[in-house]
Amino acid sequence: MSADRLRIVGGAVHDPANGVDGEVRDICIEDGRIVASLPAGVRTLDASGMVVMPGGVDIHAHFASSSCNHARRLIPDEHAADPVPPPSLLEGDARSGSGGTVPTTFTTGYRYAGLGYTTAFDAAVAPLLARHSHAELDDTPCVDGGIFVLMGNDEYLLRQIERGERDRARDYAAWLLGATGGYAVKIVNPGGVEAWKSGQRNVTGLDDAVSGRAVTPRAILETLTDAANALGLPHPVHIHCNNLGVPGNAATTLGSMETLAGRRAHFTHLQFHCYGGEPGKGWASAAGEVIQYVNAHPELSVDVGQVMFGPAMTITADAPVEYLLHSTSGRRWTNIDIELESGCGIVPLTYKEKAAVSALQWVVGLELFLLSQDPWRVVLSTDHPNGGSFLSYPALIQLLMNRTVRDDAIKRLNQKFLAGSALADGLAREYSLNEIAIITRAGPARLLGLDTKGHLGVGADADITVYSRDPDIATMFSTPRYVLKAGRVVVEEGHLRRAPAGRRLRLAPGYDDAILGDVRKHFEAYSSVSFDNYAVRDLPGEPLALGGKS
Amino acid sequence: MSGEQVFRSVTCLGCGCGCDDLEVRVSDGRIVGLAPPCPVARRWFGDGSVPAEISVDARPATLDQAIDAAASLLAGATRPMVLLAPDLTTRAQRTAIALADALQAEVDGATSDTAASGILAAQRRGRAGATLGEIRNRADVTLFWAVDPRERYPRFLERYAAAGSATHASSRVHLAVSVGVDRGPARAELAAELAPELELEALALMRAVVRGQTFEGVPDRLRPVVAIAERMRQGRYVAVVYDAEPGRNPRDDQRADSLIALAQLLNGPTRAALVGLRDGGNRSGAEAALTWQTGYPMRVSLRGGQPRYRPGRSGVDRLRGGGADAVLVAGAGAALGPLSLESVPGIVIGPGASAVAGARVAIDTGVAGIHEAGTGYRMDDVPLPLTPVLAHPHAAGESLELLLRAVRGRAR
Repeated sequence: MSADRLRIVGGAVHDPANGVDGEVRDICIEDGRIVASLPAGVRTLDASGMVVMPGGVDIHAHFASSSCNHARRLIPDEHAADPVPPPSLLEGDARSGSGGTVPTTFTTGYRYAGLGYTTAFDAAVAPLLARHSHAELDDTPCVDGGIFVLMGNDEYLLRQIERGERDRARDYAAWLLGATGGYAVKIVNPGGVEAWKSGQRNVTGLDDAVSGRAVTPRAILETLTDAANALGLPHPVHIHCNNLGVPGNAATTLGSMETLAGRRAHFTHLQFHCYGGEPGKGWASAAGEVIQYVNAHPELSVDVGQVMFGPAMTITADAPVEYLLHSTSGRRWTNIDIELESGCGIVPLTYKEKAAVSALQWVVGLELFLLSQDPWRVVLSTDHPNGGSFLSYPALIQLLMNRTVRDDAIKRLNQKFLAGSALADGLAREYSLNEIAIITRAGPARLLGLDTKGHLGVGADADITVYSRDPDIATMFSTPRYVLKAGRVVVEEGHLRRAPAGRRLRLAPGYDDAILGDVRKHFEAYSSVSFDNYAVRDLPGEPLALGGKS
Repeated sequence: MSGEQVFRSVTCLGCGCGCDDLEVRVSDGRIVGLAPPCPVARRWFGDGSVPAEISVDARPATLDQAIDAAASLLAGATRPMVLLAPDLTTRAQRTAIALADALQAEVDGATSDTAASGILAAQRRGRAGATLGEIRNRADVTLFWAVDPRERYPRFLERYAAAGSATHASSRVHLAVSVGVDRGPARAELAAELAPELELEALALMRAVVRGQTFEGVPDRLRPVVAIAERMRQGRYVAVVYDAEPGRNPRDDQRADSLIALAQLLNGPTRAALVGLRDGGNRSGAEAALTWQTGYPMRVSLRGGQPRYRPGRSGVDRLRGGGADAVLVAGAGAALGPLSLESVPGIVIGPGASAVAGARVAIDTGVAGIHEAGTGYRMDDVPLPLTPVLAHPHAAGESLELLLRAVRGRAR
């Protein structure tokens, strides 16, 4: 059994969930889990002088969905520029692929592992297309993964909200999560996507009527937030607010947060929702105001959605935003309206230091990080690939840990909208390694309710990343020396050596099955897919228990 | 087997409509009844009987012998090719692409000629699309461009464009443009007829109308399309339907590009989606799997060990030109049409493999959705579950898995 036992020795361990901040201690692994001790003589991995952390946990990315596949089709040029040969694995079968801002599935898994990330969630999957996402996840090795299920513009839910049938809405949400193999409830631009499809184009206020109906973004937020909390889901409702990317949208964001005051909720890619100014009159940072609210409300959590300069791919269910981006930029644009549920918009984009809005977005994201007071509730993300590829996480970590690098970068920016911003005025804070460990693994794991992820205590999954220290922080975090997945070494001396299949993280909450007759009638009246064929069959593994035990 | 079995909510891959509401009756190992009575579904399912032979060099063989012979043939090739023919589940297609990767082969859909112009146009421009249920629920105006769906997609109108229950569309207006002998539906509120050489000019003019431009001196022959474009601007949600598969008649390669541009532009004054009608057999699934595994939807070369796009020429065309020294056809052999495998060593694993002339190795398998469970994609990229109604001794997915293992085993 020695092959299943391993002791990592001599490393400085950063395990903030267990109060360990850089102490040199051994980590013992048996059968894929962390154990308290091992007998003498077991295999060891020498991490002397190195930094040991739990594997990274990506709480919000777009990498395994029908939308991503539409995006892949838009970038044969990027793929041609970044062909990826199969890695030289010691065991198992290696696959080739393509990179760019939206890599192919196998390459995505390999690159996440190469970065020290071992868990990732696709944050926006239309229920109708969940079957596709699971097929892509089957082909995405090295990471345990799951999907967040889009519900904020769902026709059946809107009808229940309109009728005040909140219990039925909760039961429907539970059924939908189980039927799609989902992990969390996702809201994107509540009511706005339905408005886009109906010809209303969008909603702008929390109390706007959606397509002339007695349902508002505020009611959608409240209903689904309460549903997720009442169901005891391990991760609360995951919210992409209205008015993404619009100057002055911080008021909508704060209004959404105030609406849900006292209720557990996660606000995603907050950077895109923290702008002052007015449409047509200019932009400003409102990061300070918003993060101050978050700091004061422990029931809220966020991920930042940092913009990084360079090529990106905007992929979102917030289809009206993408139309705006296309119509103002003339860039290639894909839009797919998804019956009864959602939408999909895609526009390739490049963020430039010399572009005024890009520069402001970069500043806003960093301000959110640097002005936050509780790293456990502010997660690192770039909304991959919307704000930039997940491959840019190391550069982002460097910006957070090194003020000099940050200040040098600020000097290169277009200053048009930066007047009065806290970052431009100088923020001295530098993140510690422990804080980085919180915002990249311990925090997101806790917010996702994954009890065996994001820490190195006894019973945790042995998903572990070992970094060689390097004065260049970006280099250190982009090339881990070792990465372990469920106790097996997948990256060795910086090279991918194994690519095991990841586990599927999914739920099947209970619900009152009296709703199924009504849902079936809805399908028979309006869906192009038979009710009997809707639920995804043959999902791998078992659903997680609702205690969040992963 | 005796007694009648009834299968409900069965998915049909006979055309791209992907109707999943069929009732199939089976008795004594044969399909004996099908409802609703769609001619394409009847052709697709037949009585469910397909050959179940395995041969190597035209002599009967066991599955192990056939896999061994196929692996030897492919391992000895320097320019192998994998063709994804229809009638396979997506899982089997994924395995076939894995084989291409292991072999460093070229890989293409056997039917990529049919969709290439639309795929390439969408890569240049993006596209405005929708799932078919969205068309059903919202489209109050539908333009049929040089196609009457009743001919090759018999239930399209009934399921996706007819009056009846819809969340939003309370009325339906059909518009029709015929191009040469490719006729639109006969019953339409407005109709236009175009000579083929006027098609692109007409579409350019319609785009200008959609932009809000007004014209004087429009030639009489183009006035009807101007009226159609103006009517489209007034719609709440416009569906533009065209046939993305080749008909009997040649058509302009730029049609797809121009229609994509028109549908995108319509999203200024109103909402709109383009629907490209596709033939059956999970061809959209093959393109989807190729894209997520290689980055490209068709015509991929894995020679040299990494994906390269070769969009200019189809795999079948390259095969005809001597571009391969061994070929694996994964899927229905009939998709190869008149192409025989007399001139290139060939392996066919799929329905009707034994009927392909000249195949060195042939493994007849069941058909996805008739004999094999899995997933098939509708023409709007919606994945649907496939319910087998009959048994077959050889599954395509498992046979391809065995071959993949054998090929990888030889490589080690």
